[in-house]
Amino acid sequence: MKDCVRYAPMLGARPGELTDEERRALDLHLQGCAGCSATAAELAALDGLVGESLLARANARDFAPFVDQVMARVGAAPGLAPARGRRGFLGWFRAHPRAALASLVPVLAAVALVVYVRLEGGQLGQVASLELSTEGEVTMVLQTSDGPVVLLDDGEHS
Amino acid sequence: MTRTLFAATLGALLAIGAALPTAAHAEVPVRVRVIKGSRQGPAKVDPRLEDLRRQLSPLAYVRWDQVSEHRMELDRGRTQFVELPGGETAALTLQERHGDTVTFEVALTSRNTQSRLTVQKGQRIVHQVTGEKKGEALFLTVNAWP
Repeated sequence: MKDCVRYAPMLGARPGELTDEERRALDLHLQGCAGCSATAAELAALDGLVGESLLARANARDFAPFVDQVMARVGAAPGLAPARGRRGFLGWFRAHPRAALASLVPVLAAVALVVYVRLEGGQLGQVASLELSTEGEVTMVLQTSDGPVVLLDDGEHS
Repeated sequence: MTRTLFAATLGALLAIGAALPTAAHAEVPVRVRVIKGSRQGPAKVDPRLEDLRRQLSPLAYVRWDQVSEHRMELDRGRTQFVELPGGETAALTLQERHGDTVTFEVALTSRNTQSRLTVQKGQRIVHQVTGEKKGEALFLTVNAWP
Protein backbone atom coordinates (compact mmCIF):
# COMPACT_ATOMS: atom_id res chain seq x y z
CA MET A 1 0.00 0.00 0.00
CA LYS A 2 2.84 2.24 0.83
CA ASP A 3 4.31 1.55 -2.60
CA CYS A 4 0.93 2.27 -4.27
CA VAL A 5 0.90 5.74 -2.72
CA ARG A 6 4.38 6.31 -4.13
CA TYR A 7 3.62 5.05 -7.62
CA ALA A 8 0.05 6.31 -8.10
CA PRO A 9 1.14 9.78 -9.35
CA MET A 10 3.32 8.08 -11.96
CA LEU A 11 0.51 6.06 -13.53
CA GLY A 12 -0.69 8.78 -15.86
CA ALA A 13 2.78 9.95 -16.80
CA ARG A 14 3.45 10.73 -20.47
CA PRO A 15 6.42 9.24 -22.29
CA GLY A 16 9.56 11.04 -21.25
CA GLU A 17 8.15 12.42 -17.99
CA LEU A 18 9.74 9.64 -15.90
CA THR A 19 13.40 8.81 -15.61
CA ASP A 20 14.59 5.37 -16.65
CA GLU A 21 14.99 4.41 -13.00
CA GLU A 22 11.45 5.57 -12.15
CA ARG A 23 10.06 3.77 -15.21
CA ARG A 24 11.74 0.50 -14.20
CA ALA A 25 10.60 0.79 -10.60
CA LEU A 26 7.02 1.51 -11.78
CA ASP A 27 7.05 -1.52 -14.10
CA LEU A 28 8.26 -3.75 -11.26
CA HIS A 29 5.48 -2.42 -9.04
CA LEU A 30 2.80 -2.91 -11.68
CA GLN A 31 3.89 -6.53 -12.11
CA GLY A 32 3.20 -7.20 -8.45
CA CYS A 33 0.19 -4.88 -7.82
CA ALA A 34 -3.13 -5.74 -9.39
CA GLY A 35 -4.81 -2.55 -8.22
CA CYS A 36 -2.26 -0.20 -9.79
CA SER A 37 -2.21 -2.34 -12.96
CA ALA A 38 -5.98 -1.92 -13.25
CA THR A 39 -5.77 1.81 -12.67
CA ALA A 40 -3.02 2.15 -15.29
CA ALA A 41 -5.11 0.21 -17.78
CA GLU A 42 -8.13 2.48 -17.16
CA LEU A 43 -6.05 5.61 -17.60
CA ALA A 44 -4.58 4.31 -20.83
CA ALA A 45 -8.03 3.46 -22.17
CA LEU A 46 -9.45 6.83 -21.15
CA ASP A 47 -6.51 8.67 -22.69
CA GLY A 48 -7.10 6.90 -25.97
CA LEU A 49 -10.80 7.64 -25.89
CA VAL A 50 -10.28 11.34 -25.29
CA GLY A 51 -7.75 11.56 -28.10
CA GLU A 52 -9.99 9.73 -30.51
CA SER A 53 -12.98 11.83 -29.49
CA LEU A 54 -11.13 15.09 -30.08
CA LEU A 55 -9.82 13.88 -33.41
CA ALA A 56 -13.28 12.78 -34.46
CA ARG A 57 -14.78 16.18 -33.60
CA ALA A 58 -12.00 17.98 -35.39
CA ASN A 59 -12.50 15.90 -38.49
CA ALA A 60 -16.23 16.52 -38.39
CA ARG A 61 -15.70 20.26 -38.52
CA ASP A 62 -15.43 21.98 -41.91
CA PHE A 63 -12.52 24.46 -41.83
CA ALA A 64 -12.96 25.65 -45.40
CA PRO A 65 -14.76 28.91 -44.50
CA PHE A 66 -12.59 29.43 -41.42
CA VAL A 67 -10.45 32.23 -42.90
CA ASP A 68 -13.47 34.08 -44.29
CA GLN A 69 -15.28 33.84 -40.97
CA VAL A 70 -12.27 35.16 -39.05
CA MET A 71 -11.80 38.07 -41.48
CA ALA A 72 -15.48 38.93 -41.26
CA ARG A 73 -15.35 39.00 -37.46
CA VAL A 74 -12.15 41.08 -37.47
CA GLY A 75 -13.71 43.59 -39.87
CA ALA A 76 -16.88 43.86 -37.80
CA ALA A 77 -15.07 44.42 -34.51
CA PRO A 78 -14.89 48.09 -33.44
CA GLY A 79 -11.43 49.67 -33.47
CA LEU A 80 -9.97 47.03 -35.76
CA ALA A 81 -9.34 47.03 -39.48
CA PRO A 82 -11.92 49.00 -41.46
CA ALA A 83 -14.66 47.32 -43.41
CA ARG A 84 -14.97 48.05 -47.10
CA GLY A 85 -17.50 50.81 -46.53
CA ARG A 86 -15.10 52.82 -44.36
CA ARG A 87 -12.15 52.83 -46.67
CA GLY A 88 -10.74 56.08 -47.94
CA PHE A 89 -8.76 58.96 -46.46
CA LEU A 90 -11.17 59.84 -43.66
CA GLY A 91 -11.88 56.19 -42.97
CA TRP A 92 -8.19 55.62 -42.44
CA PHE A 93 -8.05 58.45 -39.90
CA ARG A 94 -11.08 57.02 -38.07
CA ALA A 95 -9.52 53.59 -38.00
CA HIS A 96 -6.12 54.85 -36.84
CA PRO A 97 -6.78 57.70 -34.41
CA ARG A 98 -3.39 57.43 -32.74
CA ALA A 99 -1.54 57.42 -36.03
CA ALA A 100 -3.61 60.39 -37.18
CA LEU A 101 -2.78 62.24 -33.97
CA ALA A 102 0.90 61.43 -34.39
CA SER A 103 0.84 62.71 -37.95
CA LEU A 104 -0.61 66.01 -36.74
CA VAL A 105 2.37 66.73 -34.50
CA PRO A 106 4.82 67.83 -37.22
CA VAL A 107 2.01 69.63 -39.02
CA LEU A 108 1.10 71.62 -35.92
CA ALA A 109 4.77 72.31 -35.27
CA ALA A 110 5.21 73.70 -38.77
CA VAL A 111 2.05 75.80 -38.48
CA ALA A 112 3.20 77.11 -35.11
CA LEU A 113 6.52 78.10 -36.64
CA VAL A 114 4.80 79.99 -39.44
CA VAL A 115 2.47 81.77 -37.03
CA TYR A 116 5.37 82.59 -34.72
CA VAL A 117 7.47 84.06 -37.53
CA ARG A 118 4.62 86.20 -38.80
CA LEU A 119 3.55 87.32 -35.33
CA GLU A 120 7.12 88.17 -34.48
CA GLY A 121 7.32 90.42 -37.52
CA GLY A 122 4.12 92.20 -36.57
CA GLN A 123 5.12 92.65 -32.95
CA LEU A 124 8.50 94.05 -33.88
CA GLY A 125 6.77 96.58 -36.04
CA GLN A 126 4.52 97.67 -33.22
CA VAL A 127 7.26 97.85 -30.65
CA ALA A 128 9.88 99.67 -32.73
CA SER A 129 7.95 101.36 -35.48
CA LEU A 130 10.26 104.35 -35.62
CA GLU A 131 13.62 103.08 -34.57
CA LEU A 132 16.33 105.50 -35.57
CA SER A 133 20.07 105.77 -35.36
CA THR A 134 22.12 108.41 -37.12
CA GLU A 135 25.73 109.37 -37.58
CA GLY A 136 27.14 112.55 -39.02
CA GLU A 137 25.54 115.95 -39.34
CA VAL A 138 21.96 115.02 -38.53
CA THR A 139 20.66 117.29 -35.83
CA MET A 140 16.93 116.78 -35.62
CA VAL A 141 14.48 113.99 -36.12
CA LEU A 142 10.75 114.54 -36.02
CA GLN A 143 8.73 111.43 -35.38
CA THR A 144 5.23 111.51 -36.76
CA SER A 145 2.58 108.89 -37.16
CA ASP A 146 3.31 108.93 -40.90
CA GLY A 147 7.03 108.33 -40.41
CA PRO A 148 10.23 110.09 -39.39
CA VAL A 149 11.51 113.40 -40.74
CA VAL A 150 15.29 113.74 -40.58
CA LEU A 151 16.83 117.20 -40.81
CA LEU A 152 20.46 118.07 -41.41
CA ASP A 153 22.53 120.49 -39.44
CA ASP A 154 22.31 123.91 -41.08
CA GLY A 155 21.40 125.98 -38.11
CA GLU A 156 18.92 127.99 -40.09
CA HIS A 157 15.76 126.01 -40.71
CA SER A 158 13.00 124.42 -38.66
CA MET B 1 3.18 53.27 -40.73
CA THR B 2 3.84 54.25 -44.34
CA ARG B 3 0.57 56.13 -44.52
CA THR B 4 1.37 57.88 -41.27
CA LEU B 5 4.70 59.05 -42.61
CA PHE B 6 3.10 60.10 -45.87
CA ALA B 7 0.42 62.13 -44.10
CA ALA B 8 2.96 63.77 -41.81
CA THR B 9 5.27 64.63 -44.69
CA LEU B 10 2.41 66.01 -46.75
CA GLY B 11 1.25 68.18 -43.88
CA ALA B 12 4.73 69.48 -43.19
CA LEU B 13 5.26 70.31 -46.86
CA LEU B 14 1.98 72.19 -46.99
CA ALA B 15 2.91 74.20 -43.93
CA ILE B 16 6.36 74.97 -45.30
CA GLY B 17 4.77 75.93 -48.59
CA ALA B 18 2.62 78.42 -46.74
CA ALA B 19 5.71 79.91 -45.14
CA LEU B 20 7.75 80.12 -48.33
CA PRO B 21 6.09 83.21 -49.80
CA THR B 22 7.25 85.21 -46.78
CA ALA B 23 10.84 84.14 -47.26
CA ALA B 24 10.78 84.21 -51.04
CA HIS B 25 9.67 87.82 -51.32
CA ALA B 26 12.85 89.30 -49.93
CA GLU B 27 12.61 92.19 -52.37
CA VAL B 28 10.75 95.23 -51.20
CA PRO B 29 9.24 97.60 -53.76
CA VAL B 30 10.10 101.16 -52.87
CA ARG B 31 8.94 104.54 -54.09
CA VAL B 32 11.60 107.21 -53.78
CA ARG B 33 10.93 110.88 -54.43
CA VAL B 34 13.27 113.84 -54.41
CA ILE B 35 11.43 116.94 -53.26
CA LYS B 36 12.44 120.55 -52.78
CA GLY B 37 11.36 122.77 -49.93
CA SER B 38 11.47 126.56 -50.21
CA ARG B 39 11.07 129.21 -47.58
CA GLN B 40 10.16 131.88 -50.13
CA GLY B 41 7.13 132.17 -52.31
CA PRO B 42 3.49 131.45 -51.69
CA ALA B 43 2.67 128.46 -49.52
CA LYS B 44 1.95 125.59 -51.81
CA VAL B 45 2.32 121.84 -51.77
CA ASP B 46 2.74 119.94 -55.02
CA PRO B 47 -0.42 117.82 -55.47
CA ARG B 48 1.82 114.77 -55.92
CA LEU B 49 3.08 115.33 -52.37
CA GLU B 50 -0.34 115.45 -50.79
CA ASP B 51 0.33 112.22 -48.86
CA LEU B 52 3.33 113.92 -47.20
CA ARG B 53 1.50 117.02 -46.05
CA ARG B 54 1.29 116.01 -42.40
CA GLN B 55 5.01 115.26 -42.25
CA LEU B 56 6.02 118.41 -44.10
CA SER B 57 3.75 120.87 -42.32
CA PRO B 58 5.87 121.17 -39.12
CA LEU B 59 8.88 122.29 -41.17
CA ALA B 60 9.77 125.90 -41.88
CA TYR B 61 9.53 125.45 -45.64
CA VAL B 62 6.29 126.67 -47.12
CA ARG B 63 6.56 125.63 -50.74
CA TRP B 64 7.08 122.01 -51.72
CA ASP B 65 7.74 120.69 -55.21
CA GLN B 66 8.54 117.21 -56.46
CA VAL B 67 11.82 117.11 -58.38
CA SER B 68 11.97 113.44 -59.42
CA GLU B 69 10.47 110.08 -58.65
CA HIS B 70 12.04 106.62 -58.76
CA ARG B 71 10.54 103.18 -58.24
CA MET B 72 12.89 100.35 -57.39
CA GLU B 73 13.07 96.90 -55.83
CA LEU B 74 15.38 96.77 -52.87
CA ASP B 75 17.15 93.56 -51.89
CA ARG B 76 18.47 93.25 -48.39
CA GLY B 77 22.02 94.52 -48.21
CA ARG B 78 22.15 95.85 -51.76
CA THR B 79 22.56 99.59 -52.06
CA GLN B 80 20.71 101.63 -54.68
CA PHE B 81 21.73 105.16 -55.52
CA VAL B 82 19.51 108.12 -56.19
CA GLU B 83 20.89 111.03 -58.19
CA LEU B 84 20.21 114.42 -56.72
CA PRO B 85 20.18 117.74 -58.56
CA GLY B 86 23.63 119.26 -58.41
CA GLY B 87 25.48 115.99 -58.90
CA GLU B 88 25.23 114.63 -55.39
CA THR B 89 24.08 111.09 -54.67
CA ALA B 90 22.06 109.51 -51.89
CA ALA B 91 22.51 105.82 -51.13
CA LEU B 92 19.55 103.75 -50.01
CA THR B 93 19.95 100.29 -48.51
CA LEU B 94 17.39 97.83 -47.16
CA GLN B 95 18.92 96.65 -43.90
CA GLU B 96 16.23 94.38 -42.45
CA ARG B 97 12.73 93.24 -42.99
CA HIS B 98 10.35 91.65 -40.49
CA GLY B 99 6.92 91.20 -41.94
CA ASP B 100 5.54 94.66 -42.68
CA THR B 101 8.41 96.40 -40.94
CA VAL B 102 11.53 97.46 -42.81
CA THR B 103 14.74 99.19 -41.82
CA PHE B 104 16.39 101.47 -44.37
CA GLU B 105 19.74 103.13 -44.29
CA VAL B 106 20.01 106.51 -45.98
CA ALA B 107 23.62 107.54 -46.56
CA LEU B 108 24.89 110.87 -47.84
CA THR B 109 28.55 110.50 -48.70
CA SER B 110 29.03 114.17 -49.37
CA ARG B 111 27.99 114.99 -45.81
CA ASN B 112 29.30 111.87 -44.08
CA THR B 113 25.83 111.09 -42.78
CA GLN B 114 24.14 107.75 -42.23
CA SER B 115 20.64 107.20 -40.85
CA ARG B 116 19.00 103.92 -40.04
CA LEU B 117 15.25 104.24 -39.96
CA THR B 118 12.70 101.54 -39.22
CA VAL B 119 9.20 102.10 -40.53
CA GLN B 120 6.08 100.08 -41.02
CA LYS B 121 4.12 99.62 -44.19
CA GLY B 122 2.21 102.81 -44.90
CA GLN B 123 4.77 105.08 -43.26
CA ARG B 124 7.20 107.29 -45.14
CA ILE B 125 10.69 108.51 -44.46
CA VAL B 126 11.44 112.17 -45.17
CA HIS B 127 15.16 112.79 -45.06
CA GLN B 128 16.91 116.05 -45.83
CA VAL B 129 19.74 115.34 -48.26
CA THR B 130 21.27 118.75 -48.95
CA GLY B 131 22.02 121.74 -46.84
CA GLU B 132 19.88 124.80 -47.20
CA LYS B 133 20.98 127.21 -49.91
CA LYS B 134 19.11 130.44 -50.62
CA GLY B 135 16.20 129.27 -48.57
CA GLU B 136 15.87 125.94 -50.37
CA ALA B 137 16.76 122.37 -49.45
CA LEU B 138 16.29 118.96 -51.01
CA PHE B 139 14.67 116.03 -49.28
CA LEU B 140 14.37 112.37 -50.07
CA THR B 141 11.14 110.55 -49.28
CA VAL B 142 10.98 106.78 -49.13
CA ASN B 143 7.99 104.56 -48.70
CA ALA B 144 7.91 100.81 -49.04
CA TRP B 145 5.11 98.88 -50.73
CA PRO B 146 3.67 102.07 -52.27
